[in-house]
Amino acid sequence: MLLAVLFSNNDGNILVERFHGVPAEERLHWRSFLVKLGADNLKGAKNEELFVASHKSVYIVYTMIGDVCVYVVGKDEYDELALAEVIFVITTSVKDVCGKPPTERLFLDKYGRICLCLDEIVWKGMLENTEKERIKRLIRLKPPTEA
Amino acid sequence: MASGQESGGGSGMSLMDLITSDPVPASSGSVTSNPPPNTSYSSSMTNLTPASTLGKLPPSEKKTKRSALLKIQSETISAAKALNPVRANIMPQRQKKKPVSYSQLVRSVHELSATSDQKSSQKQLFNHVFPKLAVYNSVDPSVAPSLLMLHQQCEDRNVLRYVYYYLARILSDSGSQGLSAAGGIPTPNWDALADIDTTGGITRADVIPRILDQLTKEASNPGVEAHARRLASIKTLTSASPSNSDILDKLYEIVFGLLEKVGDTKKQKKAVFGKAGSDKESVIRNNLQYSAISALRRLPLDPGNPAFLHRAIQGISFADPVAVRHSLAIISELAAKDPYSVAMALGKLALPGGALQDVLRLHDVLARVSLARLCHLLSTARVLDDRPDITSQFTSVLYQLLLDPSDRVCFEALLCVLGKFDNSERSEERAAGWVRLTREILKLPEAPSVSIKNTDALPPKLSTTNKQTSKTKRPQPLFKLAMRRLESSFRSFSRPVLHAAARVVQEMGKSRAAAYFLGYADDESAQQFSYSDHVNSVDSDLNDVSESKAKHARNQSFANGPSSKDTIASLLASLMEVVRTTVACECVYVRAMVIKALIWMQNPYESFDELESIIACELPDPSWPSALLNDILLTLHARFKATPDMAITLLKIARIFATKVPGKIDADVLQLLWKTCLVGAGPSWKHTALEAVTIVLDLPPPQPGSMLGIISVDRVSASDPKSALALQKLVQASVWFLGENANYAASEYAWESATPPGTALMMLDGDKMVAAASSRNPTLAGALTRLQRCAFSGSWEVRIIAAQALTTMAIRSGEPFRLQIYEFLHSLTLGGVQSQFSNMQVSNGEDQGASGTGLGTLISPMLRVLDELYRGQDELIKNIRNHDNSKQEWTDEELKKLYETHEMLLDFVSLFCYVPRAKYLPLGPTSAKLINIYRNRHNISASSGGMNDPAVTTGISDLVYEYKETHKQSNTIDPELANAWAAGLDDGLWENNAPAMDRVNEFLAGAGTDAPDVEEIATRPSGTYDDMWAKTILESDEAEDDDNRSSGASSPESTGSIESSISSHFGGMSSYPSLFSSQPQPKTSTSRFNNASTDSISSSYGGMGSPIREEFPSYSTPPMQSFESFDNPMAGTQSFKSQNDDGANENPQVGKALYDFSAGGDDELSLSAGEDVEIDYEVDGWFYVKKKRPGRDGKMAGLVPVLYVSSSG
Repeated sequence: MLLAVLFSNNDGNILVERFHGVPAEERLHWRSFLVKLGADNLKGAKNEELFVASHKSVYIVYTMIGDVCVYVVGKDEYDELALAEVIFVITTSVKDVCGKPPTERLFLDKYGRICLCLDEIVWKGMLENTEKERIKRLIRLKPPTEA
Repeated sequence: MASGQESGGGSGMSLMDLITSDPVPASSGSVTSNPPPNTSYSSSMTNLTPASTLGKLPPSEKKTKRSALLKIQSETISAAKALNPVRANIMPQRQKKKPVSYSQLVRSVHELSATSDQKSSQKQLFNHVFPKLAVYNSVDPSVAPSLLMLHQQCEDRNVLRYVYYYLARILSDSGSQGLSAAGGIPTPNWDALADIDTTGGITRADVIPRILDQLTKEASNPGVEAHARRLASIKTLTSASPSNSDILDKLYEIVFGLLEKVGDTKKQKKAVFGKAGSDKESVIRNNLQYSAISALRRLPLDPGNPAFLHRAIQGISFADPVAVRHSLAIISELAAKDPYSVAMALGKLALPGGALQDVLRLHDVLARVSLARLCHLLSTARVLDDRPDITSQFTSVLYQLLLDPSDRVCFEALLCVLGKFDNSERSEERAAGWVRLTREILKLPEAPSVSIKNTDALPPKLSTTNKQTSKTKRPQPLFKLAMRRLESSFRSFSRPVLHAAARVVQEMGKSRAAAYFLGYADDESAQQFSYSDHVNSVDSDLNDVSESKAKHARNQSFANGPSSKDTIASLLASLMEVVRTTVACECVYVRAMVIKALIWMQNPYESFDELESIIACELPDPSWPSALLNDILLTLHARFKATPDMAITLLKIARIFATKVPGKIDADVLQLLWKTCLVGAGPSWKHTALEAVTIVLDLPPPQPGSMLGIISVDRVSASDPKSALALQKLVQASVWFLGENANYAASEYAWESATPPGTALMMLDGDKMVAAASSRNPTLAGALTRLQRCAFSGSWEVRIIAAQALTTMAIRSGEPFRLQIYEFLHSLTLGGVQSQFSNMQVSNGEDQGASGTGLGTLISPMLRVLDELYRGQDELIKNIRNHDNSKQEWTDEELKKLYETHEMLLDFVSLFCYVPRAKYLPLGPTSAKLINIYRNRHNISASSGGMNDPAVTTGISDLVYEYKETHKQSNTIDPELANAWAAGLDDGLWENNAPAMDRVNEFLAGAGTDAPDVEEIATRPSGTYDDMWAKTILESDEAEDDDNRSSGASSPESTGSIESSISSHFGGMSSYPSLFSSQPQPKTSTSRFNNASTDSISSSYGGMGSPIREEFPSYSTPPMQSFESFDNPMAGTQSFKSQNDDGANENPQVGKALYDFSAGGDDELSLSAGEDVEIDYEVDGWFYVKKKRPGRDGKMAGLVPVLYVSSSG
């Protein structure tokens, strides 16, 4: 289960968050936990360098892309490595939408489209589409494959 | 800002501020005049965003847009430059322009949807309104009519995509407490919107049926042109709440209907694996297949339904890789419930060349992961035991997955082999997993999966392919492959890979521990030969079945071809070497996982110096969060559960935590670990175990700031106030633990030894007596010394607890310990002790009060109890002597008086600590006979007095006491019952009163997906928590520079809980797990069960002060003559039975009695010449020996003069 996908800026402002299967009262804690993780570790991190953390049986993989931090939280089959795949898909499509590793401004400018991408990538707590081209098609309401 | 609340409030605004670059508020409703924010970068970009509207806008807007653009850019730059940009740059923005409000956006949707046929409206919706609306965490139902209108009328795909997006959000939104999956700014209250909104007053109940209706129609539309919309509407429908059965039925109907039409793969075998077939029809079919299976995956599982299974299995053959992934996931979930029907339904697909084999070549990692799980489930399913042909197919696929280029898949397969599937597997399965891993030989006809060249579906970082394994076609030991693969993973630079590899090693350690524990490594050693046919040589070591478990497994050799001889030991050693070097990783989580792996791979028979030094080096690193350290502590716990032999090792490791990071660890969990280890350590190690606990007390007490110059606190990492407080809490816990459990560890109980000191001892003066006692029972004496030290040199909290602990020990111990403590306590009240402890004269700067330690008021009731005990004993002795002299029988009246005194004293004593009422003799062992006479005469059962226990009547001991009563009947030895208790060691007693127990159990169960720090947060309002977090984030630099050993989350809690723990010390100690009260463990001999085993759960200290004084107003200050009571000891009627005999030493010294010896004292043992004895230890010319069988007097152990025994070694 993909419990959460979260984007924040360098200062820990939440830009986008998608929770699934996390009780409402715990989201605040997750948010804080993730943001703290980022604040502690992501300073000076290389672009798309993967970081890992865990809490009990939950795994967290996070990274920095441009000025934006991306956190993915999962459990069970979504372990560190599966989350690494997920985050790879996410960063790829964010880069694709923004054209480059986004600044915070650019990210916000493309906000809606990024939400649509995320909608295609993570669907009800599960990884859905992984291919960049496919996602690109789907967010324009084209069928996933075309003749 | 870090908190969610702020994200809802402060940052919410900032997010909207940032995203809204409209200089003019859109309140006029003319959003069209706003410059599009997203064009600021697209102008400078190579048109990667095709939807960019730059240049398409009317020229009149360009000017405003350009100025806005410049502004945005300058702001962005300033934001990037500012050190604290959020706070700094939001404010000016706020002043300059107002963000677009939710109601404005909603109004725009309404207006623009009415004119959705116009290009400009579509652009506005697509470029401005919908992206901004996405910022809000939910969409209210009043938007739905407009969305539905757009859904029907609009042709623009981009707009429609958003429409589906928002419809899905309306469908998924449960409407309460923001349960929607999407985060962001909270949507304003819908009621409040009603008056803004022209279409206000629309509820979800109104719109949901309409949405569903419209989407359902579309989802059933077979039109080829609209099939993209059909896919989108099916997807949107799955967002609807699964609790609504109508919707579910509809969805099942749609999905099954769709699969009915397109699910049959035989017709379209052409389109292979993601390559878009040329045939348009087949493409559409593939898309529909994908859509249907994806939707099916989101629907609740329907295990009993053959149609469901059939459709899912059809999915394996679909061309779309995502569809295959989902269908495999569904099937593996079904297989967990009903492996037989899944295996039957899979049928031919599993055969070589079947669809399952094709999955091996599928570029979808998660699909292969699901395949691994499926194969594992089916290959190990019990119901398929009689179908080895089927299981072997799945086993073979599983083993092929071990060679997968993706680490994720390989590790999953490895975990499956190890028997780790979810967290519910039994240790037998884990053990079998280890056996499988170490004995299986992989003979693949070929390795198809590794021969694929294109691993492009994998992120490059993860595709650390294992080239050398792919080349080998020869049968290979599974173990060797796994080790090589893991080693190569440990050389990766990717943290997730390292973390995952360490986790796999940890799981390997768990399986290995289970195998050792269950002895599987031996039992199934014959299987070793099963593969000897396939390999050229099998090492001769294999025959050596009789060797000890550990050595056996380690000496087993694999033959890998004729040339090399790798043993499990050598392969493991080289792996562990790589694992250890990974501790150098800069990521603490990876390091934590590595340490956990090392703990699990640690063998009880190996030296753990290396592990200890690794942990000792790691812990001082300030970057370790406390949650992670506690996790390791819990790992120690789990390790202990798996291998109780490791108690001492683990205690020593746990000790490092207490000394190095007292501020970060959970004292409750540590204490629980102490306790379980102490119980598990076995009789011969109890002393060491207790020593390991008390090491905490050897740390210098936390000093107030003024004393820092004088006292060195270098040894403890508690130089900052937070850790100092935490350390103090730990010290308190330790002191309490010591007091509560020292008697257990020392096997010294007043009611067991039941004797006044032997005559020889009593002739000595106080000091010598103490010396003799300490040599007799060094454990107790050591604990006593430490507590004495704590009682006057610790902080006041520690002193209080130490005094209480001493009282507990005084009450529970026999002489001369009781006397020793009495003397100590007495002088403590008078303040005269310090001179005696001249080497510890260090004051911690607190005013110790007129009485020296400030404990006078606290100690006096304790002293009164002891006084009362001694006075009663004196009285009794006097009476007995009188009766003896006058050869008088005891009258009933006298006996009654005696019995009443006995009961009163019992009540009194019970106020301070728990003692077994049936056995405890406050008047000394001599009273036993007389009291029994009285009891027999009046038919008083020993335990009935319990109901009069003040601890019960005052409600102090609550239900806890009842428990004791129920077990009291089982005083007779009942090993089975004892074993049953021991088996349920954790479940019975501690559950109620040990908060740590939950944590441990949860950890052991592998549970825990709850949010981090949630326990701590529960204790205080989240508002303060947020502030704290916000502070931690924003001021992390200065805050953590001097104090970076405690994470922000844990420290406030620990300070807070100091108070609560103190209060609990006063109110009652039941919140601490007490060894004294523990259930018996199976290894000890039966004599233990006579005493502590039947004890209650906890002692209670309640009502220590004034209530006692009110009850017994006549108590005077302690009369010194009470010491005299020991000048006339009566020979005990009960034999001295030391608890040291309840388990054999590891290497007992054997001796033989040279002459007959008849015991002169109670603690002495009669011997007849030639008798074989075990010599435990020597005291001042006496041996403490144990006989093989009880002598005529029924005694098994006792003191004999050294010269009477030949110690033959």
